[in-house]
Amino acid sequence: MDSGSISLAIQLGFAGLAVSLWLLLRRSRHDAQRLQQRIENATTKLQNLQLAFSRFAPDEIVERVIANGLSDSGEKKEVTVLFADLVGFTALSEQIEPTALVGVLNSYFDRMSEAISQHRGYVSTFIGDGILALFGALSPNPWQGNDAVHAALAMRESLAGYNRELSERNIPELSIGIGLNRGIGIAGLVGSRDLKEYAFVGGTVNVAARVQDLTRQYDADIIVTATLKASLDPRFRLRELPATRVKGVVEPLSIYAVDGFAEAAEASG
Amino acid sequence: MSLMREIEWGSCLLEPRRDPKLERRFRRATGRPIGPVIYFSGTPWLDDTTLSFNLDVSKQVSIDTELVGLIGMIVSQDNSCRFCFAETRALLRILGMPERRISLLEHDLLSEEFDARERAALEFARRFSRSNPRPGKRDLDALRTAGYDELQIIEIACAASIFVFFNRVTTFFALPPQAIEELPDRWYIRLFRPLIAFLISRKGNTARLEPLEPGEREGIFSEVVLGLDGLPFARSLRRTLDGMWASTLLTPRAKALIVAVVARALDCPLSEKEAIASLRAEGLHAHQIDEILAHLASPVLNEKERVIVSFARETIWYEPGRVQQLGRDAMQTLSREEFVELVAVASIANVVCRLGIFAGAA
Repeated sequence: MDSGSISLAIQLGFAGLAVSLWLLLRRSRHDAQRLQQRIENATTKLQNLQLAFSRFAPDEIVERVIANGLSDSGEKKEVTVLFADLVGFTALSEQIEPTALVGVLNSYFDRMSEAISQHRGYVSTFIGDGILALFGALSPNPWQGNDAVHAALAMRESLAGYNRELSERNIPELSIGIGLNRGIGIAGLVGSRDLKEYAFVGGTVNVAARVQDLTRQYDADIIVTATLKASLDPRFRLRELPATRVKGVVEPLSIYAVDGFAEAAEASG
Repeated sequence: MSLMREIEWGSCLLEPRRDPKLERRFRRATGRPIGPVIYFSGTPWLDDTTLSFNLDVSKQVSIDTELVGLIGMIVSQDNSCRFCFAETRALLRILGMPERRISLLEHDLLSEEFDARERAALEFARRFSRSNPRPGKRDLDALRTAGYDELQIIEIACAASIFVFFNRVTTFFALPPQAIEELPDRWYIRLFRPLIAFLISRKGNTARLEPLEPGEREGIFSEVVLGLDGLPFARSLRRTLDGMWASTLLTPRAKALIVAVVARALDCPLSEKEAIASLRAEGLHAHQIDEILAHLASPVLNEKERVIVSFARETIWYEPGRVQQLGRDAMQTLSREEFVELVAVASIANVVCRLGIFAGAA
């Protein structure tokens, strides 16, 4: 082999090496871009998840979970609890088809949840056909009592509208019972190792549930306890009901039916 | 960035109004065009506040401008303020912060990219702005452990306060964020970036300790202002509070009501006490004030005051789309000038009450 051929072979070798290196570089750049894209997608998903979580628990809790994982911490809070239940749902479930029933129920939940969130409440959980909503749990709210009762009135109004729709579809109308109570309890992530939710636990919730049961006894769709009444705007039209014993409370409970809200009666200043 | 752009953001509530004199004043003082201020200009004390707070962003005595920018981003992100977030992001990019570092902050405050000292400041700023739960002694101790002295801690709180104010003003008026979001990618900004960065940097970092003058040590919410004594922001806030209280667009009673409602919601006894004293001076009885603060309603409130009180409570924790709609509703009852002053007073009330809580913790 002469020197010209050797030189050409070396040059071709270098050229080949350069092309291989260029291809390798291009590929690694491409891989890096793909990796970067995947990281960004994952981050966006995480952000969306965080945003979604923040609707169900205070930001502080969401961030603590993301940073440190699940823990058993809880905190004392004053919260207003709204407990709503469909009256006569069992009978209804025997009258209409299961698919239609689920549709009716979901639409009902949508409307009730909307009424609750419009008044700064948050739906903690659906229990069968029942709704447990909290006011003042995610952020401090000195006006939580008024907000909760306004939400209950909005639920009543929204249900009336929905019942008109149901009547047109020949579906039996729905009716609800709503019990409200205010008090101190413990808020935190509660549940098993596999399934946890941000919840508020304590006697306040139990009493709200018992008061909700009393709506049937007194034929009143919204009942509040005396504890909640003490913090309410006097423009709510309340009707005193007989003090009633409920399970878990020693003294008979003073309760009031909510008839409405007197919007007017404002003067000048 | 993408997630911030997904935030529901209505169309601007106000029409822009040109004011060549004010525009010249802004350009001379800041080296930048007046920008979105033309949408809400015309309230003298608010024009002054916007200008002085703008200058205060880059006037640091003991912390660096980059940290203030990062605080701006984290607070604006937490408040879902598309406008301020985009503006701060653009500023950091123009000042030369790598895109990667900015993205890391956007995605993860606790990123290892930031050292423990920076993270402590950013976490505190966010807690200060959020005030849910209220920042307390433990949060201040965390800053001290991270190596910040008392002046630096106060300066971090001041920096967060400026963004607490601007986030609210820009969000409640729904100032259009699109132009500023696209600004850093404009070819002329990329081309002249070093020059713009030089001009901006030249305006900043010129501050030194300036104790309040005797006349500045008194006035409404003086306890809050005195807690910041020595920093340029203390003077700006003093002038703002005096101008706000002297303005006649809203009545003194309406302004005191706004502060009282925000103070009650944030649980700031210091500010609430002073707001109640002002309401008493305006002729309201204790039981009437109790009724208003307990129910945000009372027969003694007139129609405008009812709207004002109701809007004030929405300014503490809010979703941009919803609060902008409430602003639109409020404008059915209030004139443009009254609405602008309502937003401005509520935004300042949010600053004062958060600083009041901070003073209590400190």
